[in-house]
Amino acid sequence: MHEPHPVQLVVEDEYRRSRLTVFFRLLLAIPHLIWFFLWTVWVALTSFVNWLISSFTGRPPRWFHRLMCGYVRYQAHLGAYLSLVADPYPGFMGEAGSYPVDVQLPQEPVTQRRWTILIRLVLFIPALLLASTLGGFTGGNVGSSRGKTRTGSGGGTLLLACALLGWFASLARGRMPKGLRDAGAYAIGYTAQASAYLLLVTDRYPNADPTEMLVAVTDRPPRHPVRVAGDPYDLRRSRITVVFRLLLSLPHILWLTLWGIVVLLVTLVQWFVTLFSGTPVRALHRFVSAYIRYRLHVAAYLFLVANPFPGFTGAPGVYPLDLELEGPQRQNRWKTGFRLVLAIPAFIVDTALSASLLTAALLTWFYALVKGSAPWGLRNLSAYALRYDAQTNAYLYLVTDAYPHASPLEGEDTREA
Amino acid sequence: MTRRRAALLLPAAAAWALAAWLLWRSSLPAYHLPHLDEHALFPAHALHRAQRFSEVEDLFWFGKAIAQLVVLGLFARYGVRWMRESAAGPIGTGMLLGMIGFAFVWAAQLPFAVLDVWWRNRYGLSGSYVQATIGNWFQLGAQFVLLCVALAIVMGLARVRRIGEWWWLLAAPVFVGLRTLLAFVSPWLLGGKSFHAPYVASLQHSENVHVPVRVLSGFSEPNAFATGLGASRRVFLWKPIVEPPFTPRMDRFVLAHELGHLAHNHIWKSIGWYALIAFPLAYLLAVATRRRGGMGVPAAIPLAIFVYVVVQLAALPLQNLVTRHLEAEADWSALRATHDPAAGRQLFRLFASETLDDPSPPWWDYVFLENHPTLLQRIGMTRYYVAYVRPHVHG
Repeated sequence: MHEPHPVQLVVEDEYRRSRLTVFFRLLLAIPHLIWFFLWTVWVALTSFVNWLISSFTGRPPRWFHRLMCGYVRYQAHLGAYLSLVADPYPGFMGEAGSYPVDVQLPQEPVTQRRWTILIRLVLFIPALLLASTLGGFTGGNVGSSRGKTRTGSGGGTLLLACALLGWFASLARGRMPKGLRDAGAYAIGYTAQASAYLLLVTDRYPNADPTEMLVAVTDRPPRHPVRVAGDPYDLRRSRITVVFRLLLSLPHILWLTLWGIVVLLVTLVQWFVTLFSGTPVRALHRFVSAYIRYRLHVAAYLFLVANPFPGFTGAPGVYPLDLELEGPQRQNRWKTGFRLVLAIPAFIVDTALSASLLTAALLTWFYALVKGSAPWGLRNLSAYALRYDAQTNAYLYLVTDAYPHASPLEGEDTREA
Repeated sequence: MTRRRAALLLPAAAAWALAAWLLWRSSLPAYHLPHLDEHALFPAHALHRAQRFSEVEDLFWFGKAIAQLVVLGLFARYGVRWMRESAAGPIGTGMLLGMIGFAFVWAAQLPFAVLDVWWRNRYGLSGSYVQATIGNWFQLGAQFVLLCVALAIVMGLARVRRIGEWWWLLAAPVFVGLRTLLAFVSPWLLGGKSFHAPYVASLQHSENVHVPVRVLSGFSEPNAFATGLGASRRVFLWKPIVEPPFTPRMDRFVLAHELGHLAHNHIWKSIGWYALIAFPLAYLLAVATRRRGGMGVPAAIPLAIFVYVVVQLAALPLQNLVTRHLEAEADWSALRATHDPAAGRQLFRLFASETLDDPSPPWWDYVFLENHPTLLQRIGMTRYYVAYVRPHVHG
């Protein structure tokens, strides 16, 4: 098991959103953005001095530590406000415990290995890559508001996707959907850990594991009919198959493409049947379910989330990262009729998560080559991304009418025994 | 050997020999090439350059072959341990093992590929390090896909209970069918631009082969080939061969040579020879893997790949003998169609300086690597034509 990360995310948000402040959120944040910019310049200057001193002493001076903690916290508050992960207007000083989405940081500076301080910028690069796909580094807030200058994922950040979709949802319902709130909080948490690492608040590397990040979130999402099952401690990777992973996956990718063409045609038939009868045809449902499961197996192999070479049939129970799919259920005709349109928000989140998945795979590739295992955090982030992708596909291909759940947390079984 | 097996093998061997004899028959006369002195035909500098270049190229080939055999030999012994990296069932596991074996070979041969580029560049020939490494990587991917298809067929058949160890009798025709399909389809996939020259129609008429002639760009070396079956028959000329220093007379000879391949059904004959090799090869694989449970068992795949490569290497002399025979017939056909042995002679002499082919390579190079007659043999054929045939044709 892992020791808890010294930078902990605290989420005490109640999902309620004020429609008025949501509508004007970006404008309301302008004073904060200006303040954040000034603070960033100040932190950039002082962090160099902090780095210089810490390189000799192995421990940041207390004054610098407090400054950096305040900055990291403020970054998280502002990020949460801008991306609608929290509702209240944040304070300007990043005070601890003052905001529903907060980060707990080490109160006192800790002794760190000098060599990690010296090369901190280099060591930070993998975390930066991942943070830019999750939150957009600098907390997602600045990244979100300056789309043109933001560098990073190419597919858009997860936080940006959550903010965009959350804006519409919050305006319509006056509440932030739990899935988007959790996903956004996770992105903010990771970015806070990355910032804390860069600014020498801690020498503990950021942990990408979503479940551990959201350990403070007590309410679970409802149980989804499409679930990923697998041992999160299955981290061994064969170096030789890691080196050639992309090429070894080629036969699967080819097969998946051919199968996908047939699935498209089958889904068209299924769409008509489900629209008229309300329930998908069992045989076609089974066929498409196998395809979605197979797709997960292949993606898990390709993106180094699992180790063994998968089979070609999408059979259940044979792969370490498997997909549990329920049988055909009655589906809402309205949801069936407009399925393609309704799936657009899920596509947006899925695209954002795909960028994280790709980055995680790239980083895992290097790590696994050296260590012969996958990093725990990246493995679980990837499993989360694959789960969401599978849920999106299941929704799109009419396997279920349950909307994909963006929360990184596993669903809770609320059914009565 | 049991009497029953001998009773089966003897007729099979006789049928094989009969088929080989039928495929070997050609329009080539029973000729004896005159002895030629390469020093009299090629400038000393060009000859030395070509020989030096070929010597080292041969060494690279030798190194690659040794690396391949060593790696696959070790893989045949220890490759089974990678079975634990698969959750794909027997056939999928077999595919994984096959791909890992080829990946090892690729890695072992990579230094030779890089050295080869360096050597070619030294002699002003084309070759890119990117192509030899990253480009090669994609080629390996394509190889993986083909390997998986092949293993799916072989293992799939071997796992059918009623077929069992007789899988090779069905697999060989399947591969021959696939080869035929590929030969039929591939010309349409290659594209190219239409080639126009005043002599095309007359050559097509004299060879009695009316097929499109196309030019393929993107190549830096002079070459040409004929391919296709029935309606898909085409001749493809690589762009450098229709550009200087090659003259229209030489191009005419080249085109006549390629049309000669089609006129004498060489594509069909190649498929026939492929079939003749496929059956014994598949049989040998079946026999060799029996100790490991047969081709239906993934544990047998590393050994099967090793045996396959060894047999392929052992069959190289036979394959080269056959292709040299076909190429010689195409040369002869070109001489009869163009009545221009001088053009052929100039063409072959130019090849020595343009492609750095050794005009008279050492015997082992000739046996294992030369799938065309040597340049000296080809020039010899033009001399033979001048001395013995043209006088009779022209009275």
